[in-house]
Amino acid sequence: MRLNNSVVVFRLRALILVLATVLLIGFTSPIHAQFLHPKIKSKETTIRTVVVLPAKVNVVRDSMKGPEGMAAESGEMSMRVEKMIAEVLSKQKNVTTLSPPSAASGQGDSQPNYNVADFQTKFDDLLPKIMKKRSDVKKGRFTMGDEVLNLNLEKSTDAIVFIRGEGKKLTGGKTAFTLLVGGVPAYLRLQIGIVDARNGDVLLYTDPIFGGDPTTAVDRLRKALEKGFKKLPAAQATR
Amino acid sequence: MLPGAIQCTGEDTSVNRRVIGSSPNRGAKDFTWESAHRLPNLFEVNWSRTRRKPKKPHLDYLEKFDESHICRRSTVPEFHLLMFSQKATSSIVGALCFCLVLTSFCPLGMAQKKTAPVEATPPPVREDFKFGNIDLEILEQSELLDTKLERDGLVLQDEAANAYVRRIGQSLVPKGLELERVSWRFRVLRDPQPNAFALPNGSIYITTGLIFLVDNESQLAAIIAHELTHVMRRHTYVQNRSNRKKFLTMNIMAAVGAYAPGGIAGAVIIVATTVAPFILMATVFGYSRDLEREADLKGVDMMISAEYSPEEMVNVMKLLDKDIEGENIRLFYNDHSSLDERIKYLSSYLGARSDRVTHQMELNRERAAYFKTMESVMRHDLQLSISAGRFRSAVFHAQRLVDFHADSENLFWLAEAYRTLGPRSPQVTAKELTNSAKKDAAKKRQKRTLEEEERELLETPAGKDNWQRHQQKAEELYLRALNAENPVPAAHRGLGMLYEKLGRANDATSEYEKYIVLAPSAIDRERIKRRIEALRRT
Repeated sequence: MRLNNSVVVFRLRALILVLATVLLIGFTSPIHAQFLHPKIKSKETTIRTVVVLPAKVNVVRDSMKGPEGMAAESGEMSMRVEKMIAEVLSKQKNVTTLSPPSAASGQGDSQPNYNVADFQTKFDDLLPKIMKKRSDVKKGRFTMGDEVLNLNLEKSTDAIVFIRGEGKKLTGGKTAFTLLVGGVPAYLRLQIGIVDARNGDVLLYTDPIFGGDPTTAVDRLRKALEKGFKKLPAAQATR
Repeated sequence: MLPGAIQCTGEDTSVNRRVIGSSPNRGAKDFTWESAHRLPNLFEVNWSRTRRKPKKPHLDYLEKFDESHICRRSTVPEFHLLMFSQKATSSIVGALCFCLVLTSFCPLGMAQKKTAPVEATPPPVREDFKFGNIDLEILEQSELLDTKLERDGLVLQDEAANAYVRRIGQSLVPKGLELERVSWRFRVLRDPQPNAFALPNGSIYITTGLIFLVDNESQLAAIIAHELTHVMRRHTYVQNRSNRKKFLTMNIMAAVGAYAPGGIAGAVIIVATTVAPFILMATVFGYSRDLEREADLKGVDMMISAEYSPEEMVNVMKLLDKDIEGENIRLFYNDHSSLDERIKYLSSYLGARSDRVTHQMELNRERAAYFKTMESVMRHDLQLSISAGRFRSAVFHAQRLVDFHADSENLFWLAEAYRTLGPRSPQVTAKELTNSAKKDAAKKRQKRTLEEEERELLETPAGKDNWQRHQQKAEELYLRALNAENPVPAAHRGLGMLYEKLGRANDATSEYEKYIVLAPSAIDRERIKRRIEALRRT
């Protein structure tokens, strides 16, 4: 049977539309993806106080001429995400945030600074394994080991929060191009791991995502984070 | 960057900014607007020649023309008008894209062709380089990346090591050279993977892994000279400019592909726009390889000028070729030439340039001095290697360190390396070094945690055997470290961990306690205390 050209083109476009829809659904579904360690689910462990380690969020500007770095904006974004996570945890889950072990002073003893850097690297090494099978967090499969104790956090610290993120901001030209031709829209995707401060077990993994300019969409970021921690049981409010 | 490179965050280093290697403008010159007009006609001429009826009714008019009309555009203007309006538009757009691809092949007249004679290296500095806005943006990103690396605790705060690297770097920079917007900074990065990279603002980073891998100062100078060339010849900017062109071309191609009409012309456009990005990416890597070659060859020149042994450039390539972890996977396209190829052209270049072969005794002296200066950096790297799960590298390097100076601390690190190596084999086998085996291993590394890997290996006879041997070796080395002059307290901790794993709870507790007494302010004091408590409970 010979097909008319316009029919072929129509079918091709319909196929592209279906694929794009499927991709879009796949892309946005992790909004609700949260995985809790059995100890958290069974309330054997409750998170009351956390230390949020410096976030590593990388945002790029995508133009028609390729991606361009946004180091300054990425730095601001990292700080904003850190603060917002602390706020969300505090308001919704009654979790207190303690200050991280050391601020880089650039002088004096560099060991605490190295320590934090090494744990961040260790989490970076573990992250692809978690991503490969996120649901295994529910089985308590992932741990960073008791080396977390080397961070010498305050004794009351229950957990450590690791934050990673990547986002894309589109230029005007690229936005028009994306609308006309297709492509990945502007977005921000976070990968948040909460690790037991005593034995290094990964207690929670969540990866909230939202569409839109990551540098300006503050409300969307807050909503995505609220959804991201939805399943985390709240600690009892202190009186 | 060198093979096995980490990709740094930040646009200037992580974004592909590659240049092309193919012959520039070939084809573009022949491919004119007139020939672009001609393309669709060729299909139609075939039809009219065979007297087959065209499949599409709107092409019936073609039968009125014979082949001779096609090239004589001026004599039959109405034919071209018709063609342009009804059929050729899409083909012209396709041809335009093709032209864009070809013009983007032009390497800005800066990259060397692979066939060029090795002697024809360009001058060390790109005098004609003018900063544009986009270059200034990259420069700003580089400054921010410098700050970020330092703030994140990734730069080694070892003044002696940084000063040593700085001294080598400054001796290589041509005397009196002042480069616009370049301020030379030489630093050591805390990363066990052998690598080095340069930022366009003049910051040069050498990883602890690379410092450990090289044997002497000349080899380190070879790497720094290579990176210096990237800065002096403004490779980052040049590559970025070239990449921007290519990205733009790819996007235009994608747009054309998305709105391609039906029919044969449409199919041709779709095929062209699908294939073109791959060709462009190949040119991106090709350009990068050319710049790397330029950096290698200019690096040799700089070494000769600074009176370093230039043959060490080849030796350092050979060292980089050592795949201790079995992780260097050859991809279809690489941004660096294969090390074999680099060794080949460098040897050929050295044959033409070097009139000096360094005596082995001189090199040995240089090696001893190098190890003495860098000993603390090497120990730091061992700690990083073990923490990153690079156990084979840790054993290999710790053994070199012990061979050089068998003091208590170096013996302790070798013991640590063997203890953590566990059931793994100390060297990868020839079978594990094949590309497919490396790919499989990389997939497994992505899936399994280190503990899972160990558990799996312990179920095999070879794994059990390795584990037993390595634990014995580790115990022996810990004891040697404790019996040496100025014993390190950490050897007690290592023994404690070893005994704990072997199920000797009392011995482990006793060793941990000794450690706590001897190192009361150790950073892992709390961790060891908890281990003691847990052992007592059991």
